Amino acid sequence: MKRLIYLAVVLVLVFALAACSASSDHLAAIKKAGKMVVGTSADYPPFEFVDEAGNTTGFDVDLMNEIGKRLGVKVEWVDMPFDSLIAAVQGGKIDLSIAAFNYDEERDKTVDFTDAYYTSEDALVIMESLAGDPPTPENLEQFIIGVQSGTTQDAWLTDNLEATGKLKAGSLQRYERVDQAFMDLQAGRVQVIMSDYVPAKALVDKFGGMKIVYQGVLSTGPMNIVIPDGDKHLQTEVNKIIKDLQDEGFIDALAVKYFSE
Amino acid sequence: MAKPILTIKKLTKKYGENVIFHDMDLVVNEGDTIVIIGPSGTGKSTLLRCINLLTIADEGQIWLDDIEITAKSCDEDKVRQHIGMVFQNFLLFNHLTALENVMLGLTKVRHMKPDEAKHKALLELERVGLLDRADHYPGQLSGGQQQRVAIARALAMDPRIMLFDEPTSALDPELIGEVLEVMRKLALEGMTMLVVTHEMGFAREVADRIVFLEKGSIVEEGSPEDLFYHPKHERTREFLWKITELYGKKEKES
Amino acid sequence: MDFMKFLQYIASGTAYTIAVTLVALPSGLLLGILFSILNVYGGKVTQRLTSLYSTIMRGIPPIVLLFILYFIVSGSINLSPFWAGSISLGIVSSAYQMEIVRGAILSVSGGQMMAARAIGMSKNQAIRHVILPQTLRLAIPPWSNEAAIVVKDSSLVYALGVPEILRRAQLISASTQEPFLAYAVAALIYFLLVFITNRLLDALDRRLHIPANP
Repeated sequence: MKRLIYLAVVLVLVFALAACSASSDHLAAIKKAGKMVVGTSADYPPFEFVDEAGNTTGFDVDLMNEIGKRLGVKVEWVDMPFDSLIAAVQGGKIDLSIAAFNYDEERDKTVDFTDAYYTSEDALVIMESLAGDPPTPENLEQFIIGVQSGTTQDAWLTDNLEATGKLKAGSLQRYERVDQAFMDLQAGRVQVIMSDYVPAKALVDKFGGMKIVYQGVLSTGPMNIVIPDGDKHLQTEVNKIIKDLQDEGFIDALAVKYFSE
Repeated sequence: MAKPILTIKKLTKKYGENVIFHDMDLVVNEGDTIVIIGPSGTGKSTLLRCINLLTIADEGQIWLDDIEITAKSCDEDKVRQHIGMVFQNFLLFNHLTALENVMLGLTKVRHMKPDEAKHKALLELERVGLLDRADHYPGQLSGGQQQRVAIARALAMDPRIMLFDEPTSALDPELIGEVLEVMRKLALEGMTMLVVTHEMGFAREVADRIVFLEKGSIVEEGSPEDLFYHPKHERTREFLWKITELYGKKEKES
Repeated sequence: MDFMKFLQYIASGTAYTIAVTLVALPSGLLLGILFSILNVYGGKVTQRLTSLYSTIMRGIPPIVLLFILYFIVSGSINLSPFWAGSISLGIVSSAYQMEIVRGAILSVSGGQMMAARAIGMSKNQAIRHVILPQTLRLAIPPWSNEAAIVVKDSSLVYALGVPEILRRAQLISASTQEPFLAYAVAALIYFLLVFITNRLLDALDRRLHIPANP
């Protein structure tokens, strides 16, 4: 139901905003303002989360702050639910968004993406106590699966299992946030969770009694920053900075900082 | 010759196909008390509502003094100020005390200063014998008391004429007397009154003229003497006999 | 990990929750009163329009209205997330409050209007001095319900990025992996807000009670 609502909203947005695409001087405007408003959904550690002081932090946050520094502007962080971010970029409410987004054809119709700044993998997580054969991408339809709604894993499950009719009704549970899915895994309401590998690993360590039975690229892969549709100037400039940061080893250092705990 | 206060000519009211009354003619002179009697459903209440424009008649005219109040140019809110109305079920404003009920029209409609309005309202409450209940809410008053406050509320506007729509029929028998007493006093003071009632004792004693209404038209009108003792129509005789019998019994029982 | 700090972080969202409620509830009440009057005492056209308004606003999920107002309408008028969210919730609430007030108006007998008109009051005067004072008293208990709903619905503004209680609880839940504690804190705050609101309205109800003999 909720997905349908968002879908409806996005459709309305597409029509309403078809006429007014991002202005070509968006980058100039950002530089002139001296700040850029960046949206994220700070409920996805370690990519983005709040620390004890209530500040937004994480892999994506450090990266974007560095990008802002190199653009010569201050980064103003806005927290929104993941589902609102694309609409907010489209509506011009935020300048761009970084939230462990993966490139996605559907999303590409309404917004644009930068080059990848990091490549992530998918994971399948189960309770250590799960009896029988462990799930693999090939036999996944035999399990009750939990996934965070609106993610690439959700899209992959929808396209490959649900739409093809392989999945029994009710055996795919969607959660607004990934930690909710892990709670239900612990409670036995779902048998396997499909999510990004990095946050999955962090959550498996936190919860205990769980294990990752698959690691690889299924749905996800490269992570990109979301920018307004057709915003070439911003895209070029940010791409250049991403390339520099990769070459300098800045991004690898961030990965070590956030993913190796 | 007595001066007419209310003149009704050829008044007709229909609800769709259903004719409530038609071609009604009636004149009320200054100081007169006219009692309208008749079986229920003959349009007595509707007639009163047409007179103070709470219901709009379909045809015919009504004059209050020399002004045609059925004219389109007429300001109906102004007209109603000059026509007092007392309802069967009192209809006091439930959220206001007796005093505030009487004051409301004075302050909001006649724009009197609060002091002045209070003074006048207290006088009106005294007139109906309820000075000691001024601070009571309707829910704290008996039916008879509520109806007397309603009379005071109407009187406070200094109406040219008072309309009473079965003012005692919602009351317990033991409370009817106090309301009729107030009405009797008003009649004696010279108030012009048009009363719809089944209280034949009141009609006989107080009315200058009785109008017998049936099936939407006036069957007979005349002095109480004429109607009670020398009715011209058989229907009048039958109705009066029935109603006296009915109410006579009730009176004895109570 | 200092959980007290996190609790503080969640609790500091209360200001947003209260602010959103303080905008949505009164604006919903004003619109609700206005529309209910137009519905009951207006002509055929206003009656139809207000009924349609009520049906639509009660029919669409509040979150959709929030999105429309923030992402589409406020493309031309620059509304902050706070105002877009609060106004949307006010609009949604106005439809429910319209029905509450309408029900109360209809339960104040039609005779009250007639009696007011009979002493020469205009329709507007009668509504203002006779109908509304009685109606609003009658509406307090159901209104208390609606107030509780608006307090809780105020959490929807998080969809626009307003950091209110529930969103903060989500963020803390995600970063600490202590969802039960985080949500329990949020629940406790909401409960207290609703409890206090209802107590205040109860007191108001008692204070405005019209005396009557038993």
